[in-house]
Amino acid sequence: MSDLEEHRTPVSLNGLSEDDLRLQPLAKNPQTVERVIAVTFLVGTLFVAAFGASYWVNAKPWILGATMGAGLFLLGVGLVAWGKYLMPRGPFVEERHTLANSDADREALAAAIVERGGSVVKRRKMLAGILGGGMGIFGIVALFPLLRSLGPLPKGTLFHTDWKKGSYVVDQTGRRVNVGDLAIGSIVTVFPEGTENSDRGQAVDQTVLIRISNQNFTTQKGRETWGPMGYVAYSKLCTHLGCPVGLYEQQLQLLVCPCHQSMFNVTNGAIPQFGPAPRPLPQLPLYIDANGNIRAQADYDQPVGPGFWERHRVTGSKV
Amino acid sequence: MSDVATNKRAQRQAAGPYGKIGQTLNELDDRLGIAKGGRTFMDKIFPDHWSFMLGEIALYSFVILLVTGVFLTLYFVPSVATVIYHGPYKPMDGQRVTEAWDSTMNISFTVRGGLLMRQMHHWACDIFVGAIVVHMARVFFTGAFRKPRELNWTIGLTLLILAIGNGFLGYSLPDDLVSGTGIRIAYSIMESIPFVGSYLAFWVFGGNFPGTATIPRFFILHVLILPLVILGLVGGHLFLLVRQKHTQFPGNGRTEKNVVGSPMFPVFIAKTTGFLFIVGGITALLGALAQINPIWQFGPYDAARISYAVQPDWYMGFLDGALRIWPSWSFMGFGHTIPFEVFIPAVILPGILFNVAYLWPMIERKFTKDNEIHHLLDRPSDRPKHTAFGVAVLVFLAMLHIASSTDVIANFFHLSLESTLWGMRILVIITPLIAYPLAYKICKEMQGYRGSGKRKTHNIVSRTAEGEYVATPTPAYGEDVGHELDATPVPTYIEVEPDEPVESGVRTVER
Amino acid sequence: MTSTLLRRVPLMAAAGFLSVAPLLLFAGSANANSLNPPPTTRKNAGTPNSTIVVKNKSGVVVKYGNKYITYKAPSSKLDALGQALFMENCASCHGSEADGVPANGTSGAYPDLVGLGPATITFWIDSGRMPAKNLAAVQARRGQPALTPFQATAIAAWVNSLLPSYPDIPTPHLKNANVADGAALFALNCAACHTIEGDGDALAASTFSPSLRNIPAFQVVEAIRTGPANMPRFTGNLSDQQVADITKYVTTEIQHPNNPGGFGLGGLGPVAEGFVGLLLGLGLLMLVCYWIGDRS
Repeated sequence: MSDLEEHRTPVSLNGLSEDDLRLQPLAKNPQTVERVIAVTFLVGTLFVAAFGASYWVNAKPWILGATMGAGLFLLGVGLVAWGKYLMPRGPFVEERHTLANSDADREALAAAIVERGGSVVKRRKMLAGILGGGMGIFGIVALFPLLRSLGPLPKGTLFHTDWKKGSYVVDQTGRRVNVGDLAIGSIVTVFPEGTENSDRGQAVDQTVLIRISNQNFTTQKGRETWGPMGYVAYSKLCTHLGCPVGLYEQQLQLLVCPCHQSMFNVTNGAIPQFGPAPRPLPQLPLYIDANGNIRAQADYDQPVGPGFWERHRVTGSKV
Repeated sequence: MSDVATNKRAQRQAAGPYGKIGQTLNELDDRLGIAKGGRTFMDKIFPDHWSFMLGEIALYSFVILLVTGVFLTLYFVPSVATVIYHGPYKPMDGQRVTEAWDSTMNISFTVRGGLLMRQMHHWACDIFVGAIVVHMARVFFTGAFRKPRELNWTIGLTLLILAIGNGFLGYSLPDDLVSGTGIRIAYSIMESIPFVGSYLAFWVFGGNFPGTATIPRFFILHVLILPLVILGLVGGHLFLLVRQKHTQFPGNGRTEKNVVGSPMFPVFIAKTTGFLFIVGGITALLGALAQINPIWQFGPYDAARISYAVQPDWYMGFLDGALRIWPSWSFMGFGHTIPFEVFIPAVILPGILFNVAYLWPMIERKFTKDNEIHHLLDRPSDRPKHTAFGVAVLVFLAMLHIASSTDVIANFFHLSLESTLWGMRILVIITPLIAYPLAYKICKEMQGYRGSGKRKTHNIVSRTAEGEYVATPTPAYGEDVGHELDATPVPTYIEVEPDEPVESGVRTVER
Repeated sequence: MTSTLLRRVPLMAAAGFLSVAPLLLFAGSANANSLNPPPTTRKNAGTPNSTIVVKNKSGVVVKYGNKYITYKAPSSKLDALGQALFMENCASCHGSEADGVPANGTSGAYPDLVGLGPATITFWIDSGRMPAKNLAAVQARRGQPALTPFQATAIAAWVNSLLPSYPDIPTPHLKNANVADGAALFALNCAACHTIEGDGDALAASTFSPSLRNIPAFQVVEAIRTGPANMPRFTGNLSDQQVADITKYVTTEIQHPNNPGGFGLGGLGPVAEGFVGLLLGLGLLMLVCYWIGDRS
């Protein structure tokens, strides 16, 4: 057509004639396929344009996504079909050359490293030793400030909560819980007064207060005074992975962890009855003051939440 | 003829036979010397088998993750500072939330196209990790990891781990009720490591849970550091792929010494670009029609709140399942506690899994004593023990995954939670033991029936003079089909460079 | 009912096997002892009667009945009708004095209904849980009520006449309730069992938390106030206003969730998302691969 054609080197086909099957499109009737692809491209373009329009008018998210998705999908399908049905069907072949070099080349490299490097290092063993040691020590030493500045050392907060002798038991709105508040079978999530709105309070101090009877309730031997008027309180942190154990079944008297279904029996000191939790939930000793407010006798007698290496060391508790 | 036309003609002639494009390429070659390598690259052959495209799904969903992720970064505020939510979603109005949650709500409800981008990002992530797993399964079952490709197996496995890790980090960023529970669990898992656990957890979180450092640190890891590492490793993965060339299934004309398929340009480029669009399209359709991670329904995280039936994203499911079904064995003594009930399923188990996977090329070499270079793939049925082992491991992981939703299963089928859990404990152990011989047997059967389903050949029935009927099968597939579609050397339909340089506009540059 | 039983038999057998066999495998597990639920404590669970509820000495006075929820005791005129209905529908299990039957060797306990408050009675009957359709079931399921609301009220009137008690039958007025406060309270108090999207889930010992997807507002209040079956009872720790807030959140956002992102996927969260992402997303893409590529 154009004069450009004249300058082209004639196509050499290396023994393939132009009508070789491999150069033909896969499609039996390429015209039809071409038309189908054209329609696909057109519709796809329309969808993409519709995406632009719907973005312009701030349409609902699903309209944005549907137009964009359909447009991209159709354009992609058209392009793939073009490649699959209209381009040379092949197959073509490429030689694979071995990656390995000749033995001489290999030896040359090995020699360069071993002989050259070796001779230098061997002669100056002391230098190499000191340098290696220095770099090694730097590597280790550099790790310390890098790690250490990331956060504080695990001290008190892992082992103690904010519950203290006399802490008022309040719910999440800060309302003090009174002895008349809960009916039997009721549960409420409580905090030591003052921490109910802090991250710390929610993460560490959270406690479930359950009323299981009308009389003082003893969950275990030695805890005779801990459950006045049937109010018992347990740490809300599961001893498995620290999820809040907020799931209380009042007839079964079970606290269930919603994460991995550990089950704790609230009548016997929250001893795990099923599931992966290894320890009972720590129980908070309570008392009722003259005004009828429920208060804590002391902090938990052991660290709350999941286990860790130092857990045992500080507490000296039995469980 | 006008001057203009003559000028144009002169320009065209000066530009050489390939016009502007040729000229540009020449200019580039002057500076970068790309002609030879570029030509080789254009001729690079890609095998056509469909299973070789699984890795492309992963690659392209990663592209989508990058694009949508950049969009989200523009609006997300990585901070745990407390604000009061006052946005268009009324049921959360007035709640104490973190800026991270607040800004994610802002992306979902205020930013134009924001919700779509968020959902596409999340769906692309689910597909990304899934595609890596499926791709690795293909590589494993066909033996593509063998010499010389052990390094690329290692890179791919690292990519899987990074993808899972980055997915978890991203899932945690909105600081909603469900993901916050996930972070809490991650903290406890870190804490469970003997000797260093509590230090590690304190340093990663900047203190006792919930800490203040999590979201900012997770953010920078999620949007910068891990994506960079992933990007670099993807580059290395692809470089090795080009350097070592593709593997291929045995078959017509395919040998250890060649690669058969379509050339990079134009056939493969057309197909793969189209496929990129298709991956984008399907992700966008999912993002449009299927709601994912509706944080407005979950609400902000608050350490005292919890929802039942929360699971992590699917790729963490096997860990959650392992945590659920592992019994409550805790070690206490010598003044210390080792929470084996957490440490074994959440640290040791994935540690063993991934280390075995890393070492697998070596392990298998120990068994097979096979130190040859392989470019032709195995059909999985030809390696029954290998295949059966892979199937057993996958079944084991799938069972762990299912175990992460014992409560949902129990509720759906009206079973008791306890028996479902015990059932899963047993299934996790038993099903791989069943899967192994089953897969082995199936492989053996398939070996016997190789090609049987491909094409029925006719019998030619003839009657002998004695009246006896003789059925002679016609030649089987492979023998009767001519070799007209055997591979041909590349790619002769494009012009072949003549040996002598023809006169052209190309300057010869002395080097 | 029979079909449910029949369906359960193999499952129970399987469950029985499953719960024994693993003991060998996991010998030494700390929780190897099988779950043995304590007897129901419905009777000694007590009643939120007026003395408990109104005498609140802490800051906020919590009492039943204000502009958020009004409580109405059933009319004593219905007593006679209620007694007749009770004898016909309930007495065979709960006894003609409505004081229940303690557990014995062959059957479980039938709870004492005296002093539970009219709202308890109407909740169980109006939600179709009582009269029980399947006595073998661990927990009654919500269903089509066998008695009309009027009949339920009549039964409640008679049972309440034996020992007048709270809570009465509530009517929530949700116009002034704050849905945002309800959302926060829901997340803190309800989501642990019912899930944050209100779908319910399986609990210990074959009990379950029911879905909240189609429950009328007054039954939400009744459930919160009376604590049916294993559900804890929320009395003094939630004011009527807070209960109304929760009820509004449940009847609006939980029952008609805002799904701007497309189909809600059944509220199952990442489980359903994983299925969709892998089967639909990845699956479709693999089919496309299968189309694009060769197959041999």
